[in-house]
Amino acid sequence: MSEGIFSPRRGTEETGLAASRPIMGIPRDRRHLFIIYVIAVALLLLPSVWDDDAGIDALANAMSYAALALGLNVVVGFAGLLDLGYAAFFAIGAYFYGILTSFQIMPEWSGFWDPFAYVGLVEKLNQGGPDLVHFTLSFWLALPLAAVVSALCGICFGAPTLRLRGDYLAIVTLGFGEIVPIVARNVTSVTNGAAGLNGIQPPHLFGYNFGIDAVPYYYVGLGLIALLIFTSVRLRDSRIGRAWMAIREDETAASAMGVNPVKYKLMAFAIGAGFAGMTGVYFVAKLQTATPEMFNFNVSSMLIVMVVLGGMGSVWGVVLGAVLLQLMQSWFLPGLSRLIQELGVSSGSALLQRVDLTQWTQLLFGIILIGMMLYRREGLIPAVRRTPGLTYDAQHAEVARGGFRNLGNVAHWGSGAALEIRDVTVKFGGLVALNKVNLTVPAGGVVAVIGPNGSGKSTLFNVITGLVPAQGTISFGGRELLGLKPHQVLELGVARTFQNIRLFPTLTVLENALIGRHARLTSGPVASILRTPGQKAEEEESREGVLDIIALFGNRLAPRVAQAVSGLSYANRRRVEIARALASRPRLLLLDEPTAGMNPAETLELAEQIKSLHASGLSILIIEHKLDVVTRLADRVVVLDHGDKIAEGTPAEVRRNEQVLTAYLGRGARAALEKEVA
Amino acid sequence: MTSVDIIVQQLINGLSLGSMYALLALGFTLVYGIAELINFAHFNVFMVGSMIGFLTLQAFGLVGQETTLTGLPLVGVLLTGFAASMLGCGLIGMGIERFLLRKLSAVKGPAAMITTIGVSYVLFNVVLLTLGSDSKNFPNPIPPMQWAIGGAVLRVREVAIWAISLGLMGALTYFVSYTKLGKAMRATAQDPDAARMMGVEVDKVIMTAFFVGGALAGACGMIFGLYYNLAKVDIGFGAGLRAFTAAVLGGIGNVPGAMVGGILIGLIEAFAGQTIGSAWADVVIFSLLVLVLVFQPAGLLGRLAPNKS
Repeated sequence: MSEGIFSPRRGTEETGLAASRPIMGIPRDRRHLFIIYVIAVALLLLPSVWDDDAGIDALANAMSYAALALGLNVVVGFAGLLDLGYAAFFAIGAYFYGILTSFQIMPEWSGFWDPFAYVGLVEKLNQGGPDLVHFTLSFWLALPLAAVVSALCGICFGAPTLRLRGDYLAIVTLGFGEIVPIVARNVTSVTNGAAGLNGIQPPHLFGYNFGIDAVPYYYVGLGLIALLIFTSVRLRDSRIGRAWMAIREDETAASAMGVNPVKYKLMAFAIGAGFAGMTGVYFVAKLQTATPEMFNFNVSSMLIVMVVLGGMGSVWGVVLGAVLLQLMQSWFLPGLSRLIQELGVSSGSALLQRVDLTQWTQLLFGIILIGMMLYRREGLIPAVRRTPGLTYDAQHAEVARGGFRNLGNVAHWGSGAALEIRDVTVKFGGLVALNKVNLTVPAGGVVAVIGPNGSGKSTLFNVITGLVPAQGTISFGGRELLGLKPHQVLELGVARTFQNIRLFPTLTVLENALIGRHARLTSGPVASILRTPGQKAEEEESREGVLDIIALFGNRLAPRVAQAVSGLSYANRRRVEIARALASRPRLLLLDEPTAGMNPAETLELAEQIKSLHASGLSILIIEHKLDVVTRLADRVVVLDHGDKIAEGTPAEVRRNEQVLTAYLGRGARAALEKEVA
Repeated sequence: MTSVDIIVQQLINGLSLGSMYALLALGFTLVYGIAELINFAHFNVFMVGSMIGFLTLQAFGLVGQETTLTGLPLVGVLLTGFAASMLGCGLIGMGIERFLLRKLSAVKGPAAMITTIGVSYVLFNVVLLTLGSDSKNFPNPIPPMQWAIGGAVLRVREVAIWAISLGLMGALTYFVSYTKLGKAMRATAQDPDAARMMGVEVDKVIMTAFFVGGALAGACGMIFGLYYNLAKVDIGFGAGLRAFTAAVLGGIGNVPGAMVGGILIGLIEAFAGQTIGSAWADVVIFSLLVLVLVFQPAGLLGRLAPNKS
């Protein structure tokens, strides 16, 4: 998913970004653009050189499925929400246009309708009897309107259900996808039931009626696809797309880094539904009829097959998947069947003459799904491109150690704010994980929390960042943190790392860090699609800022910004997590065992770096087991044991505290130690 | 029929439907409890079960409702039918796990679920291509005797269905609670890694869960045929979705919960069908599914399996 997005203006040579590495003498970006232009021109010219109405018609149909696959890709591929009832939104758009242009609902004419008739939305109709209203919504107006209506339906359906776990969501959407056709079948007064709506108006353009000729629909379909591809790519490469992918990879980490999961899931659902609504209008305007059977589970699952075949999250992949499957159904299977039947005629085999492979379509769908999942989960055109490995030089370069250099570039932590934790209690069933814990981090201070395993240290972090509910109060710069959602805590300036590293594995180092910046950016979907000057400036600024933060780690991360974090070393992944937290411009940084799993040299290096962050004015709360790190960094140390705070003081005081020694070493061991000292 | 008669009649219908959904829900719950996976293939494993039952009974020369049997022949024919459909479906379930899902056990994300959707498709279309899409006249050797309870009717076949379902559920409860393999299954549901380290052959346990779930789906397919007198390629979807709702309602991963949920869903379907028409019964059940998931995701009896992810 990285074409285009990572072409930083500055020194590609020194960062070695793969995106602009020339292949066949042409940079990859330009090569892609060239291929796209060639395909676009070929598609535009096709109807004038290929005089086959049925063929063009098949392509126009394929386009409506490609459009649907693009919409489903936003939901399934980008945001990771497995929607098995996506065709419901297709149906909503289709019936919206169908009902407002057919002769199904015709109220009696009254003066109320005059203004609508004036702008052409309705016309007066007389079938012998009273004058009736015939809705005549323009196709061109219906496209955006249906998108809005479907998106609203998506929000209504998604608001209660998107909080569910992924697999539950799948089955709930399956149910929803089943309910909509049931409603369409049974509310006959509105939809004409199973017989379907008839007399749906074809589009008109400047007095030209599209009628049943395939070519104009082909061009409309082409325009629709182009619009949806454009929208998908723009969204994918924006703050919105990054938020979606963060949720897909790790919802908890995404929310802790400032992404509001409910909002962005709803947005994905609504935008996906909008795509489907538009496509529904195109689909029924072309067929001029709409029946419940057009929108049943088979359609939803065929779309899933298209997305899986092409590659979940891959814009070009799902278009390819949709077109391939459609062509398989309309040309390849019938053609192959005819061939086999002719073979049967010539060889006199009655069995071969009866072969009809089109009946095998769905069986092939099933086999494709299984095959892709077992052997090529990333699809035909994977969304994530493999980045080439580092050069020998980059891998064996001398590492720069010590504190952060150039911290001046990034050290704008704002005025420090004190964290006041008062009487915080957490109970998991009968277990008291934290018992009336009090703790203060003064503005600009470094406080370390130590304690044996299971003493409640990480629970404390989870409470502060809104992941675990608790009693008591936690105020930060005068604001109460308890009761806030994780993304709201981050917005206030509290960023964290996780003990067991929660990065977004398939995203690159740069993308991970950019997600940390999410809460500080403001561009919404519209600005991202239009790529407004404000949005461009904001993206540029955040990329610069994040690269500055990555550069703090010297040549540890800088050469690897375009690599997926799943391929990094353990220590580097810890560094990315810290960079991601720093990218959110925190006023308080929570570090959960930042040096765990690092060797002594790396530990020392990181300790120096944390120290320079502190020196630049950042408040830090750190959980750490390595006492030398604690001594080196912390002004104050708080000791937890079984949820109780058993000691607090300077590192030196805590080291001499009897209770602390008991908690860490046990009574007997302490006695032995004392004897030894004596 | 008086309103009391109608209530009694719908109670009888609801219990019959409910015992089917309970058997089917158990398959979802067993697999979900152990593998945290919604097995979409289960929908059509059930359908295949009813087809196997249909073919087996036909092999005995039974056609439609004309031939009825009594005594030992009846018991023998039914036993063979159930044995065939249960064994067949159990093996299908086991095969899905052994040859497909096990390869994906380390893969995060929806891959396993998508694979089961694919398997569901394959099962559906293999039956469609070999046996056709027409509704099959399912042979029913149970004599058409019935009792009148007021104005309501209780047929022998309904009593038989209840007895068979109860027997199977009792056997399953015994298996899960008291046998070594059953205990291993519960341990695996709680924590597969810990179970593995305690010497439980986790792969075998997971495969067993798929086998048992499949076998119950097979029995359910057979019962479906005996109850409705039909077997059809598209019965899996509706029944499967109801059964899944039942599993969720009872608390997914919870064996008694699936039984209670199944009976409740059966009763709800019967009474909803009576009051607002069967076309809308689906809407009622799916809405119930959404409501339970949103407001009481642990179900009525609570989830027994902890969240492993």
